[in-house]
Amino acid sequence: MEYVVKTKGLTKSFGKEKAVTGLDMKIPKGEIYGFLGPNGAGKTTTIRMLLGLVKPTSGTTHIFQKDLKKERINILKRVGALVENPSYYPHLTAYENLEALRKILGVSKSRIHEVLEIVRLSDVANKKVKGFSLGMKQRLGIASSLLNDPELLILDEPTNGLDPSGIIEIRQLIKRLPSEYGMTILISSHLLSEIDQMATTVGIVTKGKMIFQDSIEVMRMFAHQNMSLKVSDSEQAWRSLLANGIKSDYKDGIILLSERSNEEVAKVVHTLVQDGFSIYRVEEEKKSLENIFLQMTKEEREE
Amino acid sequence: MMKTLLSADFLKIKRKGFWLLTFLGPFGVVALQVVNYGYRKDYLLQQSDNDWKYYLLNVSSFIPLALVLGIAILTSFVASVENETNAWKQLISLPVSKMRVYLSKFTVLACLLWVSSCLLMLFTLVYGIFLGLGEEIPYLDLVKFSFYPYFAALPILALQLWIATFSQNQGIPITTGILGVIFTYSAFTLPDWMIWKWPSLINDWNEPIINVLLGIGVGAILYIAGMLDFTRRDVK
Repeated sequence: MEYVVKTKGLTKSFGKEKAVTGLDMKIPKGEIYGFLGPNGAGKTTTIRMLLGLVKPTSGTTHIFQKDLKKERINILKRVGALVENPSYYPHLTAYENLEALRKILGVSKSRIHEVLEIVRLSDVANKKVKGFSLGMKQRLGIASSLLNDPELLILDEPTNGLDPSGIIEIRQLIKRLPSEYGMTILISSHLLSEIDQMATTVGIVTKGKMIFQDSIEVMRMFAHQNMSLKVSDSEQAWRSLLANGIKSDYKDGIILLSERSNEEVAKVVHTLVQDGFSIYRVEEEKKSLENIFLQMTKEEREE
Repeated sequence: MMKTLLSADFLKIKRKGFWLLTFLGPFGVVALQVVNYGYRKDYLLQQSDNDWKYYLLNVSSFIPLALVLGIAILTSFVASVENETNAWKQLISLPVSKMRVYLSKFTVLACLLWVSSCLLMLFTLVYGIFLGLGEEIPYLDLVKFSFYPYFAALPILALQLWIATFSQNQGIPITTGILGVIFTYSAFTLPDWMIWKWPSLINDWNEPIINVLLGIGVGAILYIAGMLDFTRRDVK
């Protein structure tokens, strides 16, 4: 498989503290790679190393099969990035901000209008960025990352500070890019739901270590959920389910089903009703990112 | 490559008062003499046989202070343009070499100060002619007095830029800048090796050109040291 980004044993320590440890990241071409992890897990440090902003303590990075250490400038010509909070020059207009970057990138002036159109900032192109809302600044940041029509787009928490409609807009934009422009995208987030809706490949990092890296389908299997039932006389009800040969768990007055197909749930409800129990609630328990982390790190330890 | 970086950097200093400061420095220096000569022209003209030379000496007494103060303010302004929203990370993520980024910042500052020096020469000349100090205008001295301090101050520029780029807290370059101004103010009592003495063009041999050469030499060394440090450092 062709990897756009491939790191090997990437490690960065700040003094004694290790921010990133032995990270092997593989991003296949044309994928939306969701880089997931809690705050302070080392996501931003990793992204900084991918851009050559921070030099790794050890390990190598290859982007487009080129060594980042040797060919940083040639690589960055084909990369667009938005790192952490958006950077901008508040005393300049949106247009001038992009112009300052455009000059260095050497792309045509018409590209500025194109990217402003993409992020819907054309109306405020000639307003100073000082007066922009956080969401607008974030969109300006995304516009600047698209300026050189990159083959690899790196977005660090791009939906931070956006309102719901802004988030949906950006999400749709990001989903569109790989198919329309053949871009490969690395997007970091601490929100599972965010990644879940966009990514095709996922990498999960915690405490500077990559604990999971695979397609989103494999990830979803980890995140499988329980069905919880709240019924009258629950312990009795649980026993009656077991007596009927239905696998279930009982915990704190709630019956938990690990099997959650429609037929299975219907069968359980039917059995309980027949046996004369009142059903108050049938809920799907969604596992939070935290739970999945716990689950994954637990499995790590057991291996 | 360098040209595009420079034009981007000049775009970034728009509306920040850089050009106003560039104008105000030399204007202030000459304006002090406007006051001086305005009040006691007759007395001042009696002090010396060569009225032009005496006038140039008077003007030049405030040049080092204005220059060192200007360097402190401009460097910290230039750094703050990038520091304000941490635009360094965006700038360095572009396909540019860090050396060129640093060179571009230095060049912008050197250009602004050069413009200041040119304006200084112009203002000095115009007011000198207005005063009617004589037909024979000492052009060579005029050029020396206007541009020698510029070259002699290059080490201070290189040092201040270095400090301003690595300091997260802009209080640090401002502090060193103010210290520099104080040093320059007391240039007479400083030993010759202190770079803050050099713009005053004073030295034991009474040869201002030594300060100019030292300024260019040590300025280059400090510039290279700052640039290498800048390329080595991680971007926050």
